[in-house]
Amino acid sequence: MEEFRAINAHIPRRRKSLAELLNEEEPKIACGDGSEHFFRKKELALLAGMLEEEEREELLLPILIEVSSEGGGYTVPSPRGIEAKLLSKVLDMEMSWSMNKVVIFRPHLFLLRRVLKTCTQYVFTP
Amino acid sequence: MAVKIQVTRPTKMELARLKRRHKLAARIQKIVKDRLSLLVMEFLQTVQECAAVREQLQSEFDQAYRAFCVAWGYHGKVPLEKEMSLAEMPFTVSAGTRNVAGVKLPFFDIEKGEASAARVQNRLDGSSVLDQSIERSKKCLETIVHLTELQNSLDLLGTEINKVKRINNALEFIVIPALDVTIRYLNMKFEERDREETARLKYVKQLLEKKEAIAY
Repeated sequence: MEEFRAINAHIPRRRKSLAELLNEEEPKIACGDGSEHFFRKKELALLAGMLEEEEREELLLPILIEVSSEGGGYTVPSPRGIEAKLLSKVLDMEMSWSMNKVVIFRPHLFLLRRVLKTCTQYVFTP
Repeated sequence: MAVKIQVTRPTKMELARLKRRHKLAARIQKIVKDRLSLLVMEFLQTVQECAAVREQLQSEFDQAYRAFCVAWGYHGKVPLEKEMSLAEMPFTVSAGTRNVAGVKLPFFDIEKGEASAARVQNRLDGSSVLDQSIERSKKCLETIVHLTELQNSLDLLGTEINKVKRINNALEFIVIPALDVTIRYLNMKFEERDREETARLKYVKQLLEKKEAIAY
């Protein structure tokens, strides 16, 4: 597990809700390696436009994209289905949400990262 | 050609240690390969975006230049220079970093402010032509900031890709093959030792049988 800890040093110490970030002058979070990750306000506004008021409180940013070293797929953890709703809107297609996660494929990843550059982050999982 | 790892003592412990190292190296290589593919994807995306923004900037420069030419012709050099030197564009740029698979990339977010009302009212010798040229040059600034971010990201991603590629190649073509060769060498050594042991036991058995035959 040590190697995964080293490669995931960039993931945030604590994720913030969309509502919290929208209220900040400079929306940013602290990463595990001591650096800071800034969010683009345009992206936050885009996300806010897609969600209801209570969903903005529940959505934690950045959205984590899990890269599995075994399966070779990409998954987005979505405990309450907000991320699934968001991905469906961003990718303009229905995303299946099961077992608290959304499975996405490489072409989706390309589109997703183009729209949400600062609101998504990669996590490497065993 | 893979280089054989120097084994100080060909023991079973050493073999177990090497097998552990081999497993770890293969696992790390898989992670590194995943990271490399993601970084390449990000790089290609940035290249595409960079090309599009460059084109946009080119066309914006073109439009701004045309607008300036018209304004120059309409107002003349001195009034135009005076207006341009007084033209204000209140804006703030937030500079920071964003993280992409462990690579810290620059981040610039430009926010336009409102021009002061006094400044707008004081313009007596202005015209729509002049306003247009000023507006176009403001637009160029936004695109320049965006292009700066992309160009820097491209450089950093390229450097990181080279680094990760070197690590991946070292693992794939040096470390893992060398471990493979050493493990095979140790296995052969142990098999040889077993064969020697069997032959020696057979020889001793024969000697003992001969001795017994002579005794009787």
